[in-house]
Amino acid sequence: MSGGLVWVLVALGLAVVVVRRRSFAVGLVTAQALVLAVEAARHGTGDTTSAVVLAVRAVALAALLLLVVSRTREPRPVRAGIAPLARGGLAVGFALALTWLVPTIGLGSGNAERGVLALIAFGIVAAATRRATLFAVVGIVLCENGLALAALELPHGSSSAIELGVAFDLTLVALVGAVFHERIFAEFGAGDTAALRSLRG
Amino acid sequence: MASRELLALAVVVTPVLGGLAVLCAPRRALNGVAAAGAALSAAFALALSAVALAEPARALVERWVVVDAAAGMLVGVIGVVGVTAVLVSPAYLAIPSDRGLVPPGRRPRIFYVLVFDFWAILAAIPLMGNLGGAWLLVEATTAVSAVLVGFGGKPRALEAAWKYLILTSLGLGVALLGIVILAAGAAHGGLDALSWRELSHVRTGHGAALVAYLLLLAGLAAKIGWAPVHNWLPDAHSEAPAPVSALLSAALLPAVLLVAWRSSQALSPVIGASTAQSVLVGFGLLSLFVAVPFLWQAMPWKRLLAYSSLEHMGVIALGIGFGTPLALAGVAVHITGHALAKALGFYAATPLLGHEPRAAGHPATGIGRTQPSLGAVLGVSLGALAGLPPSPLFVSEVLIVAGGFAAGRPWASSVAAVLLTLGFLGLAHALIETTAGKAPARDRPAAGLRGVVLLAGLAVPCLLALSAAALWLPGSSIARALAQGIR
Repeated sequence: MSGGLVWVLVALGLAVVVVRRRSFAVGLVTAQALVLAVEAARHGTGDTTSAVVLAVRAVALAALLLLVVSRTREPRPVRAGIAPLARGGLAVGFALALTWLVPTIGLGSGNAERGVLALIAFGIVAAATRRATLFAVVGIVLCENGLALAALELPHGSSSAIELGVAFDLTLVALVGAVFHERIFAEFGAGDTAALRSLRG
Repeated sequence: MASRELLALAVVVTPVLGGLAVLCAPRRALNGVAAAGAALSAAFALALSAVALAEPARALVERWVVVDAAAGMLVGVIGVVGVTAVLVSPAYLAIPSDRGLVPPGRRPRIFYVLVFDFWAILAAIPLMGNLGGAWLLVEATTAVSAVLVGFGGKPRALEAAWKYLILTSLGLGVALLGIVILAAGAAHGGLDALSWRELSHVRTGHGAALVAYLLLLAGLAAKIGWAPVHNWLPDAHSEAPAPVSALLSAALLPAVLLVAWRSSQALSPVIGASTAQSVLVGFGLLSLFVAVPFLWQAMPWKRLLAYSSLEHMGVIALGIGFGTPLALAGVAVHITGHALAKALGFYAATPLLGHEPRAAGHPATGIGRTQPSLGAVLGVSLGALAGLPPSPLFVSEVLIVAGGFAAGRPWASSVAAVLLTLGFLGLAHALIETTAGKAPARDRPAAGLRGVVLLAGLAVPCLLALSAAALWLPGSSIARALAQGIR
């Protein structure tokens, strides 16, 4: 995968950390997964399984998450505890720390390695710093997009069975997350993790 | 197909069929069908366990499936906890609930289907011959068990389930990064590259392999509930329905721990056995450090059991980290004894909450004074978990600490011994308060008590037999097979 494309994926990931609206974030992670699917199809040597799995997973998750967004409309977006610029700075700092700490991991290119670590860092920061419950699910999807990039860049290719399994598990986790988000919304009137935390004093 | 492969297939497929049978069963026959399905599933699990432990040196190691002593032990434990969880479920399901995650009319059916699915996935984890496949199964348990944790539908249950889902999913994402790094260093692509045998031949270089191992263990730690990534554990275990809490603590945690154990053994030739084991000893000691102060606090019954899970997963990590046959014999006894005692403790929570509803949010005291049978069950469970002789957990902890000295880790063993003594004192205090402490007037019946007393009657001789077996185990072929791992 070209360095430029990797940095496009990273930029989309960073945007997930700073955007305000849940639907934008869903659109961004879907775009990322579709870019990965196209790249898998272009790069693939006869085996199109990865491309199909990534594309189907991207569309299925986008449909599920956008449906959940439409069913749990909030009068105004749940405010994050940390300002967008600070979140972005935190995400970039975490990504840089990871790339500094983790040695060469043997992927196709150095850019891909840094991209993978950055996307995982962004996913964790998105899940940890956003109060809106759906952003936690989006953060997990962002991490998995980073791992999908790593799988595409493996020197000997990855196992189709594992890729299929990862996509299935991720969809299942997102589905359960969506069910809980709806239930939390119904219970508290907002998909806000601060309301959940208040239960524990 | 060999008999062991067929048995392994039956162990995983039977709970799935049990779930399907429950799905199709008439409403009035639900409990009976579930019990029959569970009994059959447990019978296959115990058969496989007997076969694997009878000839531990003759392990079956294939691309997808492993049937060795460790798998046999875990599958047996999962079978016993699974069947007892299903048998005590009618008492939980009889409690009226209008806030549940599913409509009240469909509550029992969906609950049983989820329990059977969870059981099937759990049983497949120890039998999986491949790190990638094991990761997929562990991740799949997250989705199913999160629904079960939040099944009650109360706000605190929702919060616990949400925390569990997000933290463990993120943790497993980190573990998957470790697996990808290992796959990058494999000699070839495809699924075989991640089989337990092939992992010892990865060519990533020492630094990358060590990072992969650390990421893998840090990710799995989030699921096992090792400190410092255990935040979900006390909430999920205390808010889940009692049979689910038992499955989580007695079956899920050790099953995921086995994946960490197998990874440590497989990667030892690459990163060095001492390094691999030191990481486990570190997690073990840290978990004990974090758990012990909580065991000294008065807290609600299920929450106390949850913190005791943190302590016991730490003890098992220590045993695996020490890695000597003596310590690993202790690990085998500890996993089995912990499962029996902990499951019994969680099952007793249903009659306890019926008898003393305030026990959901407050420490239960003097239960033996107002409901002697229930007090006795709580006493058996907590006494065994505390390691009060002749509990098998006393013997296993002695074996693990002695195994640590034998492994040349006197400092870690000494610190562990001190922490275990402090943990024992904390739980012993809780035992006295729970059974014989001051008791307010109580006249509510303890619903479902008969079944739990019956289970306790079965558990006590099993625990005593385990204590006796623990004295023979260190020199046995089972301990040698556990120490050898998959070759």
